[in-house]
Amino acid sequence: MSRIVMRFTGVGGQGVLLAGEIFAAAKIKEGGYGIKTATYTSQVRGGPTVVDIQLDDKEIWYPYAIDGQIDFMLSVADKSYQLFKNGVAEGGTIVVEPNLVHPTEEDRKKWNIIEIPIITIAKEEVGLVLTQSVVALAIANTIMNALDEQLLIDTMLSKVPKKVHEANLKAYELGKKYALEAMASA
Amino acid sequence: MSATREVVSTGNDLAAMAAVDAGCRFFGGYPLTPSSEVMHTISDLLPKVGGTAIQMEDEIAGVAAAIGAGMAGVRTLTATSGPGMSLKAENLGLAQMAEVPLVVVNVMRGGPSTGLPTRVAQGDVSQAKNPSHGDYKSITLCAGNLAECYTETVRAFNLADRFMQPVIVLLDETIGHMHGKAMIPTIEEVKEGIVPRKVFEGNPEDYKPYDAPQDQPAVLNPMFTGYRYHYTGLHHDADGFPTEEIETCRKLIDRLFRKVDDHKDEIESNEEYMLDDAEVLLIGYGSASLAIKEAVNLLREDGIKAGLFRPITLWPSPEERIFELGQKFDKVLVVELNQGQYLEEVQRCMGRRDINKLTKTNGRPFSPADIIEKVKEL
Repeated sequence: MSRIVMRFTGVGGQGVLLAGEIFAAAKIKEGGYGIKTATYTSQVRGGPTVVDIQLDDKEIWYPYAIDGQIDFMLSVADKSYQLFKNGVAEGGTIVVEPNLVHPTEEDRKKWNIIEIPIITIAKEEVGLVLTQSVVALAIANTIMNALDEQLLIDTMLSKVPKKVHEANLKAYELGKKYALEAMASA
Repeated sequence: MSATREVVSTGNDLAAMAAVDAGCRFFGGYPLTPSSEVMHTISDLLPKVGGTAIQMEDEIAGVAAAIGAGMAGVRTLTATSGPGMSLKAENLGLAQMAEVPLVVVNVMRGGPSTGLPTRVAQGDVSQAKNPSHGDYKSITLCAGNLAECYTETVRAFNLADRFMQPVIVLLDETIGHMHGKAMIPTIEEVKEGIVPRKVFEGNPEDYKPYDAPQDQPAVLNPMFTGYRYHYTGLHHDADGFPTEEIETCRKLIDRLFRKVDDHKDEIESNEEYMLDDAEVLLIGYGSASLAIKEAVNLLREDGIKAGLFRPITLWPSPEERIFELGQKFDKVLVVELNQGQYLEEVQRCMGRRDINKLTKTNGRPFSPADIIEKVKEL
């Protein structure tokens, strides 16, 4: 496989870091290379946060995503979306939380923008807002077809406490469902 | 060391794991971004192996506690970032003078002062050479990938006991926080490689801890084992008691230098990447070397033969090798996330002033494109 480069953005405190770790760990389990880096500000909460994920069969030296080479971005905060959208390659996919992120008409021409209410799904359908990270994980993997789904789910379960396994499995299924619907209507 | 164990982790966690595997049983410190995970992780690991981790009231007390544990004969660690290094500096001078082994992990962030807490920098390289006032020889190692966060921390513990002094391990925010695969040696291999500090086993009456040959460290038995001597930051005699005797004072500082200078071959470590047929020499270390390696590969695709020299031991610097490379290469570019702290050392070692530099101090990492652009300008 050629290198897959993804970027998850939000604001500090939303918990977007975990999805990146799961992707990297799953790719490594498969025998390849995965690297996650996170960049955040010194504000405890509310500062823009960006998580870069790179997956490859070959060794990855430079750990950050390079602007212009990002295939996929997911954003759950407008200020982070505005700050980082230009790193996405033209024609790349950007998934946004439509209640919080407001792409312009020009943005919609430049990128394949998909609206999925990630936080609402986690909060209301799963009933646990913390699972948004796993909803995001499912959406990213379904759209990018990055890794074997079962491997990713197993890795995810190994990284979250047992008492929330069920909620996170539900979060994964819902994320996948919404992603498939969005892809079908596109 | 071989690389047979696959671990998926961060640099900070790997440094903490390495310490415990290398026999560290005490941590004293105070959390400081971006180093805090070293403390979080070792606080979890140490009690499980009978060790102790303590959060002190500040960074000064943290290193003081660590030095105390070192005096008691325990392998000991403290971890911090630049502002914490500034606070620990005075006590690091004490550890140099009294010859107390300990390891200090410094995960570098933007500075000076509190700078850019969550951003990457390599601004503490000069400081690592001389964190405290006075004359002594620092030993500073710098991890350039995840695996080295582990292996260099292990090496630091062995060097600290061999040379009886603090050893600094420099990480930076990028390396400390990046999460990925590291191939590291097994715990058994690390344990087999542990060389504990020398102890004097003769008659306690004959024990002269600081009466060492001029190229060797003091032999400091753990406290409370029946061997009595004195610790001080003052110039001291063979028993560790303060003295101003002219020859004793001269010999003491001379020995602090020579114990390191005469045994550089035990300390030096470098990586040479694609250097054999290279026409452009890039010099870099730490996380900057990750961008350099990517750039070297991309430059070669464009027909430009670049190669990387990466010092892993920053202090004492690999001066002979840098001199040789200076004779061989016309075009030399030093790449570092500061205003040229190691550039000065490269100039000194090469005896040349026509060294190019690429520096950055805004808290952002180099991208491979930054480096490629600069190399094409040379």
